[in-house]
Amino acid sequence: MKREAYNIEEQSRRSFIKRMAAASAMTAASALLPDITFAKSKETLQSGELQWKKSPCRFCGVGCGLLIGLKDGKAVAVKGDPASSVNKGLCCVKGYHSVMALYGKDRLRKPLIKRNGKWVEVTMQEALDLVASKMKETIAKSGKDSVSIYGSGQWTIPDGYVATKFMRAGIGSNNIEANARLCMSSAATGLVTSFGMDEPMGCYEDINHADVFVLWGNNMAEMHPVLFSRLLDQRLKRGCIIIDLSTRTTRTSLAADKTIQFKPQSDLAIANAICYELVKNDWVNHSFVEKHCALKKGKTDIGYGLEDNFQFTDEPTSIDWKEYENFLSDYTPIKTAEISGVSVKDIKYLASLYGNANKKIMSLWCMGPNQHTRGTWMNNLIYNIHLLTGKISTPGNSPFSLTGQPSACGTVREVGTLTHLLPHGTVTNEEDRKHAAHIWKVPVEKIPAKPTYHTVEMFRALDRGEIKFMWIQVTNPMVTMPNLKRYRDGAKKEDRFIVVSDVYPTPTTDIADVILPSAMWIEREGMFGNSERRTQHFEKMIEPQGECMSDTWQIIEVAKRMGHGKLFPWTKENHIEEIWKEYSLFHEGNKHGIAPYEVLKANPGIQWPYVNGKETKWRYHSKYDPAAKGESFDFYGKPEGKAWIWARPFEPAPEVPDSEFPFWLNTGRVLEHWHTGSLTRRISVLHQAVPHSYVELNPQDAASMNIRTGDKVKLISRRGQIVLPASVNERGQPPKGQVFVPFFDESLLINELTLDAFCPISRQPDYKKCAIQVMKA
Amino acid sequence: MTVKPKRKYLILLFISLMVSAIVILDLSMIQEQEAARVEGELYTTPEPIPSEAGVFRRSEFAMDYNNMPDDPQHQRSLDTYYKNRAYSGAPPTIPHIILSESGMGGKSCLQCHQNGGYVAQFNANAPVTPHPELINCKQCHVPVKSNTFFKESSFTRLEEPEINNQALPGSPPMIPHALQMRENCLACHAGPAAPKEIRVTHPERVNCRQCHAAKPTLNIEWTRPTTETKE
Repeated sequence: MKREAYNIEEQSRRSFIKRMAAASAMTAASALLPDITFAKSKETLQSGELQWKKSPCRFCGVGCGLLIGLKDGKAVAVKGDPASSVNKGLCCVKGYHSVMALYGKDRLRKPLIKRNGKWVEVTMQEALDLVASKMKETIAKSGKDSVSIYGSGQWTIPDGYVATKFMRAGIGSNNIEANARLCMSSAATGLVTSFGMDEPMGCYEDINHADVFVLWGNNMAEMHPVLFSRLLDQRLKRGCIIIDLSTRTTRTSLAADKTIQFKPQSDLAIANAICYELVKNDWVNHSFVEKHCALKKGKTDIGYGLEDNFQFTDEPTSIDWKEYENFLSDYTPIKTAEISGVSVKDIKYLASLYGNANKKIMSLWCMGPNQHTRGTWMNNLIYNIHLLTGKISTPGNSPFSLTGQPSACGTVREVGTLTHLLPHGTVTNEEDRKHAAHIWKVPVEKIPAKPTYHTVEMFRALDRGEIKFMWIQVTNPMVTMPNLKRYRDGAKKEDRFIVVSDVYPTPTTDIADVILPSAMWIEREGMFGNSERRTQHFEKMIEPQGECMSDTWQIIEVAKRMGHGKLFPWTKENHIEEIWKEYSLFHEGNKHGIAPYEVLKANPGIQWPYVNGKETKWRYHSKYDPAAKGESFDFYGKPEGKAWIWARPFEPAPEVPDSEFPFWLNTGRVLEHWHTGSLTRRISVLHQAVPHSYVELNPQDAASMNIRTGDKVKLISRRGQIVLPASVNERGQPPKGQVFVPFFDESLLINELTLDAFCPISRQPDYKKCAIQVMKA
Repeated sequence: MTVKPKRKYLILLFISLMVSAIVILDLSMIQEQEAARVEGELYTTPEPIPSEAGVFRRSEFAMDYNNMPDDPQHQRSLDTYYKNRAYSGAPPTIPHIILSESGMGGKSCLQCHQNGGYVAQFNANAPVTPHPELINCKQCHVPVKSNTFFKESSFTRLEEPEINNQALPGSPPMIPHALQMRENCLACHAGPAAPKEIRVTHPERVNCRQCHAAKPTLNIEWTRPTTETKE
C-alpha cells in the first residue's frame, strides 16, 4: 500500500464512479478475453480534482505547517498539516485564509517604470535592463557604497542568499540590510552577547514540558495564537501557570492565570529584581553558575542613536560575584516597585516561580523586549534569570524569543542579510571572510571588512545622499520606518533611484522609480526558517501571474546584466536546489549543520543542527546536542564554554511623557492583520473583521476627555500628528496615561509619530515608547 | 480445580496491569520512533485515517435531539451555513455582535456555543462547536465589522461538497468533508442549530461512522501481494 502524504487527491464522486466503472469494465473485459492484459489506467489529476500540498504559512515566525488545497491551477483552500510538529493541524484565521492573498485584483502583474511622473508598463527584460544599468551608473559615479539592497524576513532563504552573495561577492559592498533589523536584531545580539551564537537553545517542544510560562510584554493570544493555543492545551491537560507580564490589558491577560502590569521601560528593573531575589533567597544554582557561567559588565549610559552617524561599541569586562551582588542591590523589590509600579509581593512571586527548583519554566517574548532602546540588555537580563537558576537548554527550561516574520531567522539571521553578517560569521572576522570568499570563489579582498549602514542609518544615508540607489524587496518601509516623514522625504529626493519588488501597490511602491512584480510564496519554490531553528521547504504549486518573477531570479537576472553571472551559474529549473547545496557548505559541522535538500522536501520542516540524520532539539547540553562536550552543559559559543551573565542596569527611555506630551504611545499588531496589511487587507474575511486602525484609550482617560468608541481622536508627537477613531473598552485596554495604535493601516500611518531611537548594540528601533498628546478631534 | 472468586479478581487485576504496561511501553516506543523519524523518502502521513477523538462527544444528548420538535422558524439552512465561510472548510466568521471583544472561550463564546440552544437576543439557535477544548476562539473566528473590500479579489471559491453522495442507491451517504477538527458529528448534524439539509434523522445511533464512511481523500493504490500460486 502506497500513501503519498503530500500528493493527496481528493476524489470527486463523479470521478470515483468513473474509475469504478472503468475498473469493472476492465475486469469484465479481461474475463471475456483472458489472454489480453489491459494497461492500468493512469492516475492523473483531472480537472476539478482537489490536491493538497505542504507549505509553511506565509505569515508569522511560528511557521505553521499548512496543506494548500489546489484545484484547476489555483490555490482554493487551506488546512493545518496534522504532521507538522509546530501546529499539529491547527491554524489561525490568517493561515486558513492565506491563499486568498494571492488573488487580490490589484496584484502587480507587469513591471512599471516611472517616466515623466507617470507609470508606464514595460516588459520584464526592459525593467531589469534599467535596474542593472542604473545600478552600474550609480556605482561608476558615486562608488559601490552608494547602492544598497533592503530586504526582508519574508525573503525566502534563496532570496536572501543570492542578495548577500550579489552585494558582497559581486558588487563588493556590505550595503545590505533587511527589515528584521526592526523586529529581531535585539534577540540576535542578546543571544550573541550571552552565548556567543545566534538562535535559541530550546524549541517549541519546551511547551510540552514547562510548568510555568512567563510572557514578557508579549500578547501571544493575538500575535502567536497557534503557539498560545498549545500553552492553553497544556494548561488544560497538566495545569500549568501562565503569567502575563505586560504594559496593557490584552486578550492574553484575560487568558492568563495572573497579569502583572509594569510601567514602560521598567522591565529592565524587574528582571534585575528577580535576580536580586534569587540571590537573596539563595535560589541560585551555584554549581551551575560556577561551572558554566562568567560574570560581565559593559558600558553604561550608552545613548539612543537619535543623531546621524551614531557609533557605539560595547566593552565587556569581567566582574566577580561580589561586584554582581553589589550591582543587584540597586534592585531590591522596594526600589523596583517604585520604578515599575509592580507591587513588592508580585516581584517576589515572580522570583519564587523562577526560583522554585521543582518547576520547569519557559520565558517567552517578542517585540516587547526586542523593540526597546535597551533591547540587547533586556534579552541579556532574561537569560541571566535562566542562567542563575540553571534552567536552560533542557526540556521545559527555556528562555525563548519568538519571531514575527516567517523567515527572519532563516533568511536574515542565519543567511546573514544584515550589513555585518556573512552566511557564517561576521565581515569583521578575517577567517569568516576567507571562508565565504573560498565558497564564493572570489578573492577575499572582494568582501569589505567593515560593516556599513544598519537599517535606520541606511535610510538616513539615503536622505543625506550618500546612498543614491536602493532596491527594496518584500517589505514596506514607507509604512514601517519610525519617524516616517524624514525617511519618506529622503527617499523622494531628486537624484535617488528606488526599485521596489512587491506583489501589491503599497506606500513604498508609491515612492519607487521601478516596480518589479514578484512571484509570491507558492508561485515559486523556496524555504523559510522559523523561530525554533526549523527550515521548511515549499514547492512551486501554481504559476506566477502575469510577468511575476521570484525575488531570487530578479536578483540573478540583474547580477548577470552587471557581469556577475558566474556567481550564479544555475538554471531556472535547478537554482533553488543548487543554492541550498552551496549555502549548506557555510554551515557544515555539528554546530549548525543543515539538512540536505531531499530531506527538506520530504518533511514538514527540519530543525538544525542536523547531524547524522538527526535533528537537535536542545543546544548546549551534551545529552541533546552532539556539538556539546562533557557530561552536561557546554556553551561552546563562548570561550571556555561559559555563558555570560551580564550586569545591565535600568536606564530610562529617551522620550518620557512630560507636561507638554503627557501620554505614552505604544504601537503593535492585531491578530487579523499581519505587518503593514498589504496582504491581509486583501483577504476579505480579515479586512472585514478589522477594517481600519484605531487608538485604544484607557476608559478613565476617555471619559475625562469625553471620548467614546468611534469618536475621532487627534494624536500629536514632536514628529507628526494623526486623527483616528477611538476604541474604548474593546479588545485591549491600556492603563491610564497610555494609548495603543496598530500599525497595519497605510491610510492611518502611526509611524509618522514614532521615534527613531534604537538600541545602540542591536540598532533595533523602539516602536513601543514615545510621548504624545491626545485630544478629541 | 475451582478458583476462589477473590483470587479470580486478583488474577484479573494482574492481567489488566500487565496489558496496560505493555500498551504504555508500546506507545512510548512508537513515540520515540516518531521523534527520530527524519528520512529522505517521501514520508507517509501519520494520520491518513481521520482521528477518532471526540467521535462520541455529545452522544448523551442524542435522545433529546431525537425527541426535539421541529422549529422551522429558527432553522438554519446550508445556505446560511456556507454564507459566513470563505470556502468550504474555512473557519466561519462571527455573524453577530460580540458581547466581549477580549473574552476567552469558557467565559464568553462557549456560554452559548458549547451546548447550543435558543438565544433570545439574536432570535436564533446557537450552533454547537465541535471543538470546545480550543478556547482562544477568536484565533480563527473573527467578527464582521464591515461589508466593504479593501481591494477586490479574484479568489475562486471552492464548490461546496454534494450532500447526497451515496455510492449505491439507498446506501448510507459518505462523509464528503474533511474531519480534522470536526470529528464530532452530532455538533453540526443534530440539535436545533443543525442546518435542515444535513440534520440527521437518527441521532440516537451515535456510532455514526459505523455506517457513514469518510469519503476517500487519499489516492491510495492497493495491490494484492504476490503469493505462490498453484501451477
